Amino acid sequence: MPKATQYKTNSVIYFQGDVGDKIFILKAGKILSKSNDIETKEEINELVAPGEFFGVKSALGRYPRDESAIVLADSEVLVFTVPEFEQLVLSNTRIIMKMLKVFSNQLRRMHGKVQNLIGKGTSKDPESGLYSIGEYYYTNRQYKPAIHALTRYLTLYPAGRFTVEASDLARKAGQGAAKTDSTAIFAAAGADNEEPDFSPPTPSAPAAPTAGPSDPSAAKGFFEAVALANQEKYADAYKIFQKIVATNVDPEHSAKSEFEMGRCLVFLGKFDEATKHLTGLIQKYPKHPDLKDALYFIGRSYQGKNDTTWARNFYTKILNLAAEDEPVAVKTRKALKELEGAKV
Amino acid sequence: MSLDLSVFNRFAITKKVGEIIFCEFEPGDAFYLIQSGKVKIVKIVGELEKTLDILNPGEFFGEMALLEEAPRSATIIALTDVKLLEFNRANFEVLMQGQPQIVLNLLKLFAKRIYDQKRRFMVLTLDDIQARVADVFLMLDENGPRPIDPSDNSRTFPNSVDDIAHWAGLSVNKASEVLKQFVNQRRVEIQQGKIIVKNIMDFTRFVKSKRQE
Repeated sequence: MPKATQYKTNSVIYFQGDVGDKIFILKAGKILSKSNDIETKEEINELVAPGEFFGVKSALGRYPRDESAIVLADSEVLVFTVPEFEQLVLSNTRIIMKMLKVFSNQLRRMHGKVQNLIGKGTSKDPESGLYSIGEYYYTNRQYKPAIHALTRYLTLYPAGRFTVEASDLARKAGQGAAKTDSTAIFAAAGADNEEPDFSPPTPSAPAAPTAGPSDPSAAKGFFEAVALANQEKYADAYKIFQKIVATNVDPEHSAKSEFEMGRCLVFLGKFDEATKHLTGLIQKYPKHPDLKDALYFIGRSYQGKNDTTWARNFYTKILNLAAEDEPVAVKTRKALKELEGAKV
Repeated sequence: MSLDLSVFNRFAITKKVGEIIFCEFEPGDAFYLIQSGKVKIVKIVGELEKTLDILNPGEFFGEMALLEEAPRSATIIALTDVKLLEFNRANFEVLMQGQPQIVLNLLKLFAKRIYDQKRRFMVLTLDDIQARVADVFLMLDENGPRPIDPSDNSRTFPNSVDDIAHWAGLSVNKASEVLKQFVNQRRVEIQQGKIIVKNIMDFTRFVKSKRQE
């Protein structure tokens, strides 16, 4: 039980720098919190409001008190141990929320002050910072983090300063990842294309907010969906791809999205739908840049349905079409091996 | 912390080893509680990826996003396969109602972070750069394990010169210059992967005298 304690005028409950484990609430009276600004050393004098907690942060962490608590007029104070305080706030969660706000404000201010001192306040803007992280991981052949950073970049800045570079690197990172890890199928959108096929707004033609071959909203939606698929949120990704196809403001992204829908269906285990969808896609776009991948995913669907004969047919066809070192060929050979393994 | 978190399974996400959970400079809108596995906090400084910390089950990261959608200040990468609970401002209330203990832990974490930032600020405001480097060791010592023998004043830090430079807000060149002076004065020894301070009390007195100036 917290103890009600009386303090006489001019007494001190604790001094700045003390380490203590008690938390206080002012019930009645007048208490001054006296501290020094960490930057200017200026004295800060604040009255504790009745009903207000004081000494919380230092007690919770067993840190030296930031301030001295000086009694200006006879006061009644409730004194809590840390466990008593915890018990109280756990049954009254509004207090925690309120304190969380106060603490986070203090934290943000302190963080800002430190950043100012080390002169990082004026460093990279978030846009070039994010791109440079993708670039760093790509250069160091850490493709997974590279793809994450670059995909996030493209989602956040579909018409940004480094969109062209980022989509190029994302594609290459996807290829790199496919070589080292064939499960990184979703690596980067269009990772397996011969040519960079998502149509980033070119730097010479900054994207206008109108519909067009490089409509930024379609691009943004597309990359968002790719990001979702990367996180294996295929159902959510599917919905966005579907919307892009339905609105069809941007033919290139519509075609890409139609392919992505097929991939999502495979990953969702809807093999019949996937086969139908991808077959339709191939008929509609006989020269779709993701043709071989579409065939691969049809193969995967048959494999998923345990139809090994048809799966093998599709895989064999891909190997006839693709160059030996193409990522899709690598994936296909691996899938074929799996098929053989399953048979035995 | 043995809490029943099964009610929060709908907030659970998993990441494979090597995957980024979030990236420095991305806008943040969620914070995370590690359920199983480990993550590392990294920052790319110059041409190097520097690990700032490694977090274990029960620990949080990204907590600043609860209050503002400022860009993330570091990158988090899964060090093993990890299971995380992901909370944003919208479902934070659910967490608060269901598991106030976690939020209370979050409050304690904020208290610690504020203190850490203040301590760091104290280091950086020392004008004398020797004192600043010495104070970095004091700060690291305060956060480090207690010595087994309390009368033993020598301390071994698993840090590099780069780390010391980082905390002191100095260039690596400047920091190694200062450290060299300390080595010449036989106050410090630099070995592969570690730095030994011969007498931490000597540094305490030194910093105290400089702070009073």
